[in-house]
Amino acid sequence: MTEHPRSLSWSRRILSEMLLRWGARLGLIWIVLLTLVAVFAPLLANTHPLLVQSADGWHSPMLTHLTPADATLLGAFFLALIVLLSPGARLLRFLLWLVGLVLIGVVSLALVSPPALVVYEQYREAEAMGEYQRVIRAPIPYSAKDYLRDYADTGLESPRSSAERLHWFGTDENGADVLSRMIHATRIALSIGFIATGIALVIGVILGGLMGYFSGIVDIIGMRLVEIFEAIPTLFLLLTFVAFFGRSLYLMMLIIGLTSWSGYARYVRAEFLRLRQQDFVQGAIASGLPLPSILFRHMLPNGMAPILVAASFGVASAILAEATLSFLGLGLVDDPSWGQMLNQAVQSSTFNWWMAVFPGGAIFLTVFAYNLIGEALRDAVDPHSRSGRSAPPAKATA
Amino acid sequence: MLRVRDLTIRLRHQDQPLVEGVSFAIERGELFCLVGESGSGKSLTALAIMRILDRDFAPPSGQVWLKGRGQTQDLLTLDEPAMERVRGDRIGMIFQEPMTSLNPVWTVGQQIMEVLRLHRPELDAEAARRRTLEVLGEVQLPDPERRFDEFPHKLSGGQRQRVMIAMALVAEPDLLIADEPTTALDVTIQAEILKLIDRLREKNGMSVLLITHDFGVVAQVGDRVAVMHRGRLVEQGGARATVAAPQHEYTRQLIRALPENLPPLASVQRGDRVLEVSGLRVYFPVLKGLLRRPVDHIRAVDDVSFDLAAGEVLAVVGESGCGKTTLGRAILRLIEPTGGSVRYHDQAMEKLGREELRRIRRRLQVVFQDPASSLNPRLTILTTLTEPMAAHGIGADSEERVERALRVLEQVALPADSLWRYPHEFSGGQRQRIGIARALVLDPDIIVCDEVTSALDVSVQAEILQILARLRVERKLALLFITHNMGVVEYLSDRMLVMKDGRMEEIGATAEVIARPRADYTRHLLSAVPRVADHVGRAADSGHG
Repeated sequence: MTEHPRSLSWSRRILSEMLLRWGARLGLIWIVLLTLVAVFAPLLANTHPLLVQSADGWHSPMLTHLTPADATLLGAFFLALIVLLSPGARLLRFLLWLVGLVLIGVVSLALVSPPALVVYEQYREAEAMGEYQRVIRAPIPYSAKDYLRDYADTGLESPRSSAERLHWFGTDENGADVLSRMIHATRIALSIGFIATGIALVIGVILGGLMGYFSGIVDIIGMRLVEIFEAIPTLFLLLTFVAFFGRSLYLMMLIIGLTSWSGYARYVRAEFLRLRQQDFVQGAIASGLPLPSILFRHMLPNGMAPILVAASFGVASAILAEATLSFLGLGLVDDPSWGQMLNQAVQSSTFNWWMAVFPGGAIFLTVFAYNLIGEALRDAVDPHSRSGRSAPPAKATA
Repeated sequence: MLRVRDLTIRLRHQDQPLVEGVSFAIERGELFCLVGESGSGKSLTALAIMRILDRDFAPPSGQVWLKGRGQTQDLLTLDEPAMERVRGDRIGMIFQEPMTSLNPVWTVGQQIMEVLRLHRPELDAEAARRRTLEVLGEVQLPDPERRFDEFPHKLSGGQRQRVMIAMALVAEPDLLIADEPTTALDVTIQAEILKLIDRLREKNGMSVLLITHDFGVVAQVGDRVAVMHRGRLVEQGGARATVAAPQHEYTRQLIRALPENLPPLASVQRGDRVLEVSGLRVYFPVLKGLLRRPVDHIRAVDDVSFDLAAGEVLAVVGESGCGKTTLGRAILRLIEPTGGSVRYHDQAMEKLGREELRRIRRRLQVVFQDPASSLNPRLTILTTLTEPMAAHGIGADSEERVERALRVLEQVALPADSLWRYPHEFSGGQRQRIGIARALVLDPDIIVCDEVTSALDVSVQAEILQILARLRVERKLALLFITHNMGVVEYLSDRMLVMKDGRMEEIGATAEVIARPRADYTRHLLSAVPRVADHVGRAADSGHG
């Protein structure tokens, strides 16, 4: 069977149609860049040197201080590369990757145990004492939580103002390097977007699909539920929960996910109502195909495109919600986040432009990138907007 | 009157012209037909004359001379303001789709009066209103005074097309371009609209350029005809003479492909009864209020009974909204019937459990009207064909199923490598054949064909009809053939069932019903069908089914 040339599948066509647009390409490049930065953050910005050569040979403080989260991310990334390059059915490979991901997570939780007490100054001091023959440092030799205690009297410093230390983007009020914090913050920005939207998608697709396919009483109850959830203001719910249960990234993801599914449910419902009337779905029913096949093979894939468009906008708004919370001072305490850095821009009596421009720019670019991708995807999916640009009008070619 | 010379249209940045070297002339008071299959460039020609081509097209080359009002102008060289005065004033145009060509937020009167304001600025409001009412009367819209202030959504398709014609005629143009004006309409309404256009032409001495794909229409109303094929004019001449004795090979092909000219079918022995429908009713509740209580019912199918034997073709005929599609879907249980019974081989379908119903579905298959939406765009033809087989346990393994799919593809005359392709790579006719193949892989006894040829060109329609006719003989298939096309009914069906407003008007052997219709409605319906044979006197050699 494999020797026959398979023609382009629908999803491939949509993808190539999308990539024709410059906006989508730029957006994708930015997101891929952010993902790489998030995965390799410990290699890019770290106070612990990547490699040192001392009297008792080579060793890597960076590796010994790797957290289970770092290890899992790196493992997942390389596993994804392997899976992408290997042959086989797409769904099967994705499932394999998921299983591998869980395995790596468990293994790294069990095996990777960084020292509980982190002394950032030790390497700088040891180097100054001449204990190391050779030191290979990360490009940005400061960790996100390295407050440079050994330099005394550090705080907000504008970019490249200190003679002895090089901070490309300056330092924050604790004396930590802004660029390093921004690099480590990409993880939070990306993960909150993906996980919150993922939760919302799962709930939305299931409920919306049920409402659309069965309609009738299921639809009436479902729509009332949607209306109730649409009436809940996400931000105020988040504020309340933070006040009651303290600050937690996971709680934030959960709440953003739980309150933003209603839009997806509406989309899926509308798509399913439309698809049910399509001849090929009626044909599938008339052929006596089992219900799961009708739902998941004939209806869901055809209704997924507008939902993906909505999801790409949803990721952007989840990132914004986290940034807003952090900006209001209700985000994470010590962990770096773009919104929390923005907060520092206006906290002291002076306006610290580098605390506003760089994290703000990162938020802007990321949200913009997701919106560009969403827009390009929508254009690619919608045959009406497509006809004008690349393909000649149907009546001329039919 | 209008002289088109060497008209050539091409897309920007593309050398291959879509319309090439088209020349014809329309005399004053003449009804000139432009005939061709979809994609032949006949609509493009009309749009080019009106200079309303899309931006994607390069400015057409050639000449379009319009004579009248003491001058002769080349429309292709006119500047835009001058062209605006020509449109509507000198040339009126009506389109195919009456449902979308009126602006829904304006009343009928306002839309017509706008044309007058533009082209007859000397008329005051009162005179414009009088002229509008007059023209609404001319197009025989019932009760013009009341329609004047109504919004388009209150009008039926035929009434909207009348309003469109009124709008095109209100400024008394010298030429009316009608682009498939009756294709979206029922046959009885089509007859009225054609009669109306013809009558207005005589009364106002106007010329008409009628674009159509229907040779019946050409033979009925046309004075002269031009046949287009792949952007070129292949033949032109007197309408009836051309239809009766076509000169060009392509025209001959088209005329031969008309259902009434297809070679007659071998008669098939009627087998055992496979389907019995008695007293079938489908009511749709009209829901009102907060609790969505049913306040009334729409009787889509009301007390329909018939039976169907193996190898028999029963045509279900009627105009849009008569419930023929609902009838087909209720038999297949795609819509739950309200009452009555459907028995397949003495097995009452309504008594079956869900799993039993699923298993019996392979015996009752369906082919749909719209080839664009009848195949899942995400699946290859292979998956589309083998998945139902797997669901019903046909074929021991996937290899055997592929074998089977290949055999069925051969039966519908598609190449084997179609299996690995996606639906968008096929033309409408090919997709329709895949639709038939999907029904056939399950080895059904009965296939419901819901307007399977309505969206297809006449030559493609002929192919599909011949495939169906052959399969019926080879496989002893019973076909429930839902259609509005009388030519197809006469060609293919053994018996016919005429429906109106959900009720059966008449059922009987096709030849019998056509020769001696009992119900008034059937007579009315049959008389409205434009037939080539009636006008060119070839009734003797046309094939009856």
